[in-house]
Amino acid sequence: MKNSVRFQRSFEGEIMNFSPLNIILLGVLGLFGVGLYGLLITRNLIKIVLVLQILVKAAVLALVLAGKAGGNLGLGQSLAATVIVADTVVAVIGLALAVQIRRRFGTLDLPAISTLKG
Amino acid sequence: MMMPMGVLAFLGLILIPLGVSPFVYLLGRVGVRTSEQQQARATWVRWAALLTLLATWIPFVLAASEFARRGPAEFQLETIALRLDGVSLLLAAAVLGLTTLAALFSWPYMAGEIGEEKYYTMLLAMTGVMVGLGFATDLFNLWVWFEAMAVSSYLLVAFYRRQAASLEAGMKYLVQSATGSVMVLMGIALVLATTGTVNLSEIRAGAAGSSPALLAAGALFVIGFGVKVAMVPMHTWLPDAHSQAPSGISALLSGVVIEAGLIALLRALMALAGVTHAWGLLLMGFGAANMLYGNLLALKQTQVKRLLAFSSLAHVGYMLLGFGISLYTGQTGGAQGAFFHLLTHAMMKGLAFLSVGGLLYALRLAKGDHNPLLTADLDGAATRYPLAALALSVAALALGGLPPLAGFMSKWQIFVAGFQTQNAVIMGLVVFAALNSVLSLGYYVPLVNALYRRKPSDVVAHGAVIPQAMLIPLVILTVAVVVVGLIPGSLSWLTGEAAKALLAAF
Repeated sequence: MKNSVRFQRSFEGEIMNFSPLNIILLGVLGLFGVGLYGLLITRNLIKIVLVLQILVKAAVLALVLAGKAGGNLGLGQSLAATVIVADTVVAVIGLALAVQIRRRFGTLDLPAISTLKG
Repeated sequence: MMMPMGVLAFLGLILIPLGVSPFVYLLGRVGVRTSEQQQARATWVRWAALLTLLATWIPFVLAASEFARRGPAEFQLETIALRLDGVSLLLAAAVLGLTTLAALFSWPYMAGEIGEEKYYTMLLAMTGVMVGLGFATDLFNLWVWFEAMAVSSYLLVAFYRRQAASLEAGMKYLVQSATGSVMVLMGIALVLATTGTVNLSEIRAGAAGSSPALLAAGALFVIGFGVKVAMVPMHTWLPDAHSQAPSGISALLSGVVIEAGLIALLRALMALAGVTHAWGLLLMGFGAANMLYGNLLALKQTQVKRLLAFSSLAHVGYMLLGFGISLYTGQTGGAQGAFFHLLTHAMMKGLAFLSVGGLLYALRLAKGDHNPLLTADLDGAATRYPLAALALSVAALALGGLPPLAGFMSKWQIFVAGFQTQNAVIMGLVVFAALNSVLSLGYYVPLVNALYRRKPSDVVAHGAVIPQAMLIPLVILTVAVVVVGLIPGSLSWLTGEAAKALLAAF
């Protein structure tokens, strides 16, 4: 619990020092930001799957960090490992769908394959 | 401690469908070289899937009777705890009931499709995973079941991989749902960092005061699970996915998958119930948006399955209203009504999608045509397909909330719970929901009108026959919708326990 108090203080961020936890926190926020921004601007399906991977990596890092900050590192790490497995499955299905879409539509460009509306 | 019998029943509910599913795939694949062999194997595959689902009813009955005698039970599997309470029992009942009927319906519907064995494999896997979702006792376990459910449903939505529209719908669904599940993970990370645990009851005990990190976690849960529940504005995948999937799967997606997402959301939010009471208001707000948006967009649809998909948005809105009332006031009435609506919606929407599926099969698929069924094609369908037309009419009128059908009773229960709070905002929302219910008749009644009062369209006149096996689930569900409407108390043993289990935190 002592750790978690410290985490909350650093979370509310009066003085942002460069302790390892804060650097990882910056990494999480950075990856998450890049991922969300990427989702908004990306048009190529393969790239969208990659952007999703970046987003998930932010979550993986966040889980490990949260485990450390909450004083339960082992739990955080085991959650992170599980997420890696689950999200690989999603990536595989996403890429498989992209392959099929390339075959049917002849393109991977998102606006070109959006036909269902309203 | 539980009796060994109870433990077996518990595990059987999850493990029978989940464990058999890979073997169903192997059964359909191993040693198959010619197309004759494939057809022979496909029959085995269908039998295997159907018998597996029927076998899963045995542990269900055992678990239900165990629950009736001893109440909630917990089972520890190493560090993972599974818990059988009212909510999990209700979810298991809805999932098993609808999946069994959908499997029976799919027998002729999917016959001869490429990759039929994959269809049944994923169907069984999805069943086991959804039942498991109800048993989760910690946030992360909940996420894993949730993600597994999503993965199996991506494959089922994009099942017609020769059809461009299905692929598009599947891709949209995958991207939005995967983004949502990252949001949930971020929420879990915040909870883990502040409370040091992911166990739902420990979080509940630890999260008494209001903390910004936990508020943010709750908001992330609402957004993340909200994608799967199709809360407006995170709904854009739903009309595509539900209308492009094979009809048996559409019935499951609308009838139980979004509801399983809703249950996951409620479980996660209830752990944070101590943080603020505003969760209830938030859910009611989303509920109002869903009702209005779903009904208005359903009005302008010309494709029947798409219309039903939009009506699912509206019905999720009624459920959100009921759960919101309970989360806000702490009274069980709203949640009991919402759980009742969850069950009746599974029956009504299941019936609607299966009967439309039957018509779609006869009018389009039997001729190898994958174009969507339009509302205009239903003109005069009652003359050639009396049973399917009757089933669709009963479903549409029940969804619209006409007494004495099931949909009226469950909406009524939510409305009564709303008025019992005597809270001005909630009563206003209930009146809004009732007006929406009237508005929804604006698209349900024309369906019935077209079926019975118009001259048969050309498509109907040249339609094929609906196979007998498709009609059995229609009859069962039609009878269920009418009987539950006449005797609404028949399901209160499930809904009452579920509401009590959900609100145990208060």
